[in-house]
Amino acid sequence: MRGWAWLLALAVALPLVVGVAGLPPHDAPDAPIHTHVGARYLERGVEETGMKNLVTAVLLNYRGFDTFIEVVVIFTALAAVLALPRGAVRPASRRRTEDGRGTGDPGAADPDAPAGANAGRLADVDGEVPVSPVVGFVVRLLAPFMALFAIAMLFRGHVTPGGGFQAAAVFAAIFIALGLVMGRARVGRLVSGRAQPWLQAAGPLAFAAVAWAGWRLTGHFLGYPMHDHTAQEAMALVLEVAIGVGGGVILARLFLSMET
Amino acid sequence: MSDVFDVTMLALLIATAVAVARARDLLAAVVLFSIYGLTMTLVWQHRGAPDVAMTEAAVGAGVTTVLFFITIARTTRREKR
Repeated sequence: MRGWAWLLALAVALPLVVGVAGLPPHDAPDAPIHTHVGARYLERGVEETGMKNLVTAVLLNYRGFDTFIEVVVIFTALAAVLALPRGAVRPASRRRTEDGRGTGDPGAADPDAPAGANAGRLADVDGEVPVSPVVGFVVRLLAPFMALFAIAMLFRGHVTPGGGFQAAAVFAAIFIALGLVMGRARVGRLVSGRAQPWLQAAGPLAFAAVAWAGWRLTGHFLGYPMHDHTAQEAMALVLEVAIGVGGGVILARLFLSMET
Repeated sequence: MSDVFDVTMLALLIATAVAVARARDLLAAVVLFSIYGLTMTLVWQHRGAPDVAMTEAAVGAGVTTVLFFITIARTTRREKR
């Protein structure tokens, strides 16, 4: 069995290694990525999209469809997780001990079972084990700076590296770090329940809105008016903010909805 | 010089990847995977892709690690043989 596993690993790895070895050198000027559409993006990207960071230009403008679907994929992943019934995938040993609690059934509260089940477990993050004051202090101290960094990345994404997706990850990291320190229930209440579905769907909704606006302006779905840089920047800004906020809320929700 | 950096990083990547697969202690595996993510961040940055590097650092080394930690907290820390 182990022999087959090695064989399979080799069968996957060998073509990969051969393929990578066949790639053109990193900075070869005649490599396909530099002569195909990439050359045009580099030549005329700034002029056509009004964005100095061409990565963002490609993400939001030239390859807007891909990003649209990407945002929908992330949203769908969260929807799938939230659609799972609560406790559906709890391990059997824990379900037994938890359900046995308070029923007065002495057989269910087996003293050996919880010890065995807990032997390899981490400390529960939801306040059962107190967090070190040093960690708590540092997280609280850093949180505003992380937020500032995320906002800076969000609004400078068209000029410098970064943008909506990166900001989303940092926003989520703030929520997650605070959740580990303050308890997830408290962090979960920071955003009102009624606003949450709208924030989670912010990415797809904003893309749909911008795509419609582009269609009204240019006659093409998700089209950008090429020489109207103000309109282009407004559209890109809406998308960046929606991706940043929506993505952050989705990632944080994934974390908060995990039971321990 | 650049080649030395690349080769070192790639060797580290392969070493951590193998270590993740071989680790029986899942907590150690998650920490190793986080190291893998951070090394990957350096590689992206060095290859001139700061946008990807940022995402890799935040998602690959940060968020994923926390999600794995919670999963271990809910299940067990030891891999069954």
